[in-house]
Amino acid sequence: MSNERLVVIGGDAAGMSAASQARKRRPDLEIVAFERGPHTSYAA
Amino acid sequence: MFREKQNIDARIWHEVQQIDLDRRRVHVENRETGRKAWEPFDQLLIATGAIPFRPDVDGADAGGIYGLSSLESGIRVRRAVDEGEPKRAVIVGGGYIGLEMAEALLRRGLEVSLVEMLPQVMGTLDPDMGALVSQAVRNAGGQLYLEERLQAFEVQDGQVRGVVTDKRTLPTDMVILGMGVRPNSALAQEAGIPVGVQGAIKTNQRQQTEVAGVWSAGDCAESFHLVSRQPFYVALGTVANKQGRVAGINLGGGYATFPGVVGTAVSKICDVEVARTGLQEKEIESLGLEYVSAKIESRTRAHYYPGAGSITVKVLAEKGSGKLLGGQIVGIEGAAKRIDVLATALHAGFSVDEMIHLDLSYAPPYAPVWDPVLIAIRQVMKKV
Repeated sequence: MSNERLVVIGGDAAGMSAASQARKRRPDLEIVAFERGPHTSYAA
Repeated sequence: MFREKQNIDARIWHEVQQIDLDRRRVHVENRETGRKAWEPFDQLLIATGAIPFRPDVDGADAGGIYGLSSLESGIRVRRAVDEGEPKRAVIVGGGYIGLEMAEALLRRGLEVSLVEMLPQVMGTLDPDMGALVSQAVRNAGGQLYLEERLQAFEVQDGQVRGVVTDKRTLPTDMVILGMGVRPNSALAQEAGIPVGVQGAIKTNQRQQTEVAGVWSAGDCAESFHLVSRQPFYVALGTVANKQGRVAGINLGGGYATFPGVVGTAVSKICDVEVARTGLQEKEIESLGLEYVSAKIESRTRAHYYPGAGSITVKVLAEKGSGKLLGGQIVGIEGAAKRIDVLATALHAGFSVDEMIHLDLSYAPPYAPVWDPVLIAIRQVMKKV
């Protein structure tokens, strides 16, 4: 658990676009996205 | 699912209820189990989106009143139409949500009424262009009630039965709210993260908030208007994607900036397409700029080519300098995407005389020899 941790609040267009881009560049980054509804982005 | 392939731990039904900046953690409720926990972060991205404006009037919490902001809220409306078999719908608000819902419900065979407090629908267009869209709503079969203000909902057994305006009561089986959205920034504000225009979270061009390690993107975040050169709020998926991409590149250790927007938007009501970019007359006036405008009617294809139809283009330019300030388009299929030429010109900071010889595509199936956009530019040039 020594990895840097990114928390994303909101799993729609902006949140999931950002998470994807961050993941591409930082395989080591721990990424957690919290979405209050039943779906993450359907278009991003 | 590609989320799993990407190794992103996306947890649905999880609502963040508090941001603790001192201890770098968020308080999260699992909405399925009710369990709450603190989750630590090193970097935090706030992408909480927008929430539809709900009017503070009697009956506003009745069943059968729908706001539209998420996939789930759209599914709820669809289910209501499929299962409730409503005959009548009233839409409150004549922006793009109102227009597009009017089209969808007309197609489903409902009697549709639209109530708008302004003298026109599409308030982001100038009155003369908005009037064309108002007419399009009527032509599509919608009943339009302009300059009428919502006052209450009539409710029977917990279900909405009527919409009361300052002029009449419209009986209905369902109500769609299209009264605009506001940034969902309460969580950020409670944590003390600075907000700007309409309560949208302030960021720099890299999407960093004023708090170190905290970022924001999308419909909850402020943007910058490249024509007015002022902070601006817009809630559109295309902007959210771009801001999210920029935030993600920076969070991944790269460098990217999002310079801002020019206020481009498109919508449609049945056969009529609507588009706008830049500043409208009232925005230009509030900036204290002097401007000229031209409005032309032309055809979407060569006049002799089958399927040609009407397109109206209005352009606005600064008096003296001739700098393009904005444009609006209303017309049949093929009209709306022409706005992208004007949007690109706004990004480039073109004056209208720099646009007159733009090498735009021409063949009879696609345009007259002078594209309608360029016809409008020629006309406005004469007045600069």
